[in-house]
Amino acid sequence: MKEYRFRLILILGAVVLSLYLLYPTYVNYNNQKAISKVVAEKEKEIKASNPQISADKLDSKLKSIEDSLKNADPSINKMKLKSLKLGLDLQGGMRVVLEVNTGKLLEKLAKNPDDVFKTVMKESEKEATVSEESMVNIVAKKFAARGIRLSRYFGNIRQTDSEIISELQKDADDAVTRAMEIIRNRVDQYGVSEPTIQRQGSRRIIVELPGIAREEEAKQLLQGTALLEFKLVKDPELTISIMKKIDDVLAGTYVDSTKSDSSLAKGTTAKTKQSKVASTDTSNKQLSAEEFAAKHPFFAIAMLDPKGKSADAYVKGDDRDKLQLMLNRPEVQQVIPNNIQFVFSAKPIANQNGQPIYMLYCVNKNPELTGGVITNAVATISPETNAPIVNMEMNSDGAADWARITGANIGKRIAIVLDGVVYSAPVVQNKITGGNSQISGSGDLQEAQLLAIVLKAGALPAPVDIIEERSVGPSLGQDSINEGFNSTLIGFLVVSFFMIVYYQRAGMIAAGSLLFTILFILGFLAGFNATLTLPGIAGIILTIGMAVDANVLIYERIREEMETGKTLKASVDSGFSKAYSAIIDSNITTFITAVILYQFGSGPVQGFALTLMIGLGASLFSALVITKVTFDYMVAKGIKVTIG
Amino acid sequence: MRIFENIHIDWLGKRKIFYIISISLFLIGWANVLIRGLHFGIDFKGGTEIVLQFDKAVDVSTVRSYVEKIGLGFVEIKTFGGETGVLIRTESQNIPKAIFPKVVDHIDNAIDKIFPGIPKTKVDTSASTITYAFSNADTTNELISRLLAAGYQAGKVSEELTNKQMVVRVGIADWIKENLRTNMPDNPFQIIKEDHVGPKVGNELKTNALIAIALSLIGILIYLAFRFKFIFAVGAVVALFHDVLITMGLYAALYGVIPGLNLEIDLTVVAAFLTLIGYSVNDTVIVFDRVRENLKIHKTMPLEELINQSVNRTMSRTILTAGTVLLAVLVLLIFGGEVLRAFSFTLFFGTIIGTYSSIFVASALVLEYANRFQKKVNF
Repeated sequence: MKEYRFRLILILGAVVLSLYLLYPTYVNYNNQKAISKVVAEKEKEIKASNPQISADKLDSKLKSIEDSLKNADPSINKMKLKSLKLGLDLQGGMRVVLEVNTGKLLEKLAKNPDDVFKTVMKESEKEATVSEESMVNIVAKKFAARGIRLSRYFGNIRQTDSEIISELQKDADDAVTRAMEIIRNRVDQYGVSEPTIQRQGSRRIIVELPGIAREEEAKQLLQGTALLEFKLVKDPELTISIMKKIDDVLAGTYVDSTKSDSSLAKGTTAKTKQSKVASTDTSNKQLSAEEFAAKHPFFAIAMLDPKGKSADAYVKGDDRDKLQLMLNRPEVQQVIPNNIQFVFSAKPIANQNGQPIYMLYCVNKNPELTGGVITNAVATISPETNAPIVNMEMNSDGAADWARITGANIGKRIAIVLDGVVYSAPVVQNKITGGNSQISGSGDLQEAQLLAIVLKAGALPAPVDIIEERSVGPSLGQDSINEGFNSTLIGFLVVSFFMIVYYQRAGMIAAGSLLFTILFILGFLAGFNATLTLPGIAGIILTIGMAVDANVLIYERIREEMETGKTLKASVDSGFSKAYSAIIDSNITTFITAVILYQFGSGPVQGFALTLMIGLGASLFSALVITKVTFDYMVAKGIKVTIG
Repeated sequence: MRIFENIHIDWLGKRKIFYIISISLFLIGWANVLIRGLHFGIDFKGGTEIVLQFDKAVDVSTVRSYVEKIGLGFVEIKTFGGETGVLIRTESQNIPKAIFPKVVDHIDNAIDKIFPGIPKTKVDTSASTITYAFSNADTTNELISRLLAAGYQAGKVSEELTNKQMVVRVGIADWIKENLRTNMPDNPFQIIKEDHVGPKVGNELKTNALIAIALSLIGILIYLAFRFKFIFAVGAVVALFHDVLITMGLYAALYGVIPGLNLEIDLTVVAAFLTLIGYSVNDTVIVFDRVRENLKIHKTMPLEELINQSVNRTMSRTILTAGTVLLAVLVLLIFGGEVLRAFSFTLFFGTIIGTYSSIFVASALVLEYANRFQKKVNF
């Protein structure tokens, strides 16, 4: 037994690890099944009670039921994150490749575009569709050919062409960053689960949106324009009084008494109410979490810091949708003054036990200013404080308004809101004249850079074109999953059957190690957060066919050795050792092509290359370790090994 | 059970026959390539492809008649999966200029249906977009959301609160869908797949595919040269060229011949070709591995006899390894569904050709080389 110990531990370890990595997938599968069962029942119920309901309304109702089921238990989401990911071609969804339209960007940047400029742009655009060169270079070349200096349209008169070219290149680069941030922000708001947004090369953005049902809406998310607003954050007193009212309404204890109050009285009641909230906050120590949630449904999920100076509420990531639904209720809308709205922070401000925490701000509905007036924003490190800051410049119109706004609101906070979410809410320190503002308070330079991008996003749209788009409907995805699963099963059965018929008991060993191979592939995919695509499933099936090749080579060799009159043990040993080189060589050549395929392929094809690579590794392990150990053990125990 | 046990066939003596077979296969295939061309899918050509799933069985010719009326030029229409699926494909990137006014009229009508008689001005029309301006921001927003709900791609021109402009995008797929919806109201459909590839992307993908194939061949050449003598590596890689070229040629020859089998070269087919390159060299390696071993044992045996013996001794395992892969690929071909059909077909065909060439072509080439240069091949 001792001689096998190490190998047995190795095998056992691999099996346990694979099972452990696949466990969340199993749980997730059951969870999803349970959820869709409930949703299907609800669908029947709704249809029965309201046969005239429109498909759209039914969809949105079912969606909210599904969401609430998913949010009810945080472990559902946790398991989903850890489970085997399915590619867009299997779960349905959209993959879009966007390219920043440098031509349009240049048109926007140009100082005084005349007819010559327009003709040059038209010619360049035509050339750009076939040329590999960047649009900026093409345009520069065309102007140079006509003897026109670029400074006529871009930059300033003292700059040389090459300086302007590099500046324009940088602008084009910035546009990609901006477009990415705008899209990321929107996709996050829209509630697409697990989106991927990544940059490809210098000008492209790949966006993958799983499970997007409404294609038209999805495309709206991908446009490169955004609305940037500066909104005044309301005073804590007022905010808390509104929150209290919302809480009362939701708890069903709301008494409409404040309507007759004068605004002055409102302030005082708000103050008393604030202390009341604070006192409930302390007294609720005796209340259990459920009791508190029943009494204060709003404050249970929008938590206030009793010691904090502001009335910004902290909201857990899971509760965000729930809170938004609460705020959207008509009876709640009634107690929120018309000119006021609640907005979330764009990014979580902290992390608590793995849960992102968002901020909820109460701001004026009407913006003080919109982002069109910003001319530039740069993130730097302040020479005085050594802290990251953002320098923001405005045009003269904006500067005049800005001076008035900041002058009137010293000490108050102004939220920087992009497409409806807050990126920062700095305090106005003093009246800012001349339009140059400094925004401090960013945690690090990266945060400051993000803010700079956001500030520019409102002024300079990043025109993007969709250059590639692939979408798969959920029904085709489900079909593909079923077909893939069936093919894998049938493939396994057919190949195993063949091996057992041809090699008898040794064939059984091969079939057994094939099962392990499949387990390892799936475990590896789940563990490394890889994505399973339809070609990926094809890769697994192909691996099934290839994995037994090693067994065939070994068995044929053992047969040959036995023919020379060797004992079974000697034949097994030399059969394995002589088959090694052919097995390794043939696997490495396939591996080489798989690596190249992974490098040059995209999306689903990469999934194929990945499973092929993992499959080759796993099948080598199964053939050379598992099969060998089984043989050694059987030979040593004197169990008869028949190889046909 | 045993197959090909103790066979003693003089394969190399018959190598002329195999050369003739290979050359004729090659000629048949590439005559087809030259005459009919290679049929690329939209991955490489660029274009738009939509797959619709109708509620009831649908006649492709009915769909075709409606789509042809639109006037998009050449549009390919065929069944997809069962009798309710239809695939529509066009190479055009945008709606042709000639019929764009129709699209504009259509959208004008849609707007009028929502707000009859609303004053609107067209600010701009491009190849795929129309930009309207309205008198106030609220109507614009309302109109956008109503058009979106009706399935149009309407959006704001800018996100400023005062924005009064609306842009409507109409891609070629949108226009086809819209036409079918109005013409076939009693058989509604769902879009189950929609692909759009720009011309530049198509060209890039083509270049990438060629680079990947070339790199794979070079990578295998280098690896085998490192493991075997260079001439064996060359023999193996020439055999690979043989496999890829013949498979590609037959692929072109069989295009449109087998009903229900859509043999177009798309990304997955290229993936299949690459896999083929990696896999079909396996059998060659098995034979060469044996030749190498025998060269050490039988130092005086003439090369032709030695290779023959090696091929005969490894015949059963070559057939078996290829056989198990063929079994798996066959399962994929039958049960793997429409999306993977061309991929599985390529692998199936390619594996057969690859096994044939491993046995009969690769070693023969090594022998030819040795005979011509009167060289003693050793390791």
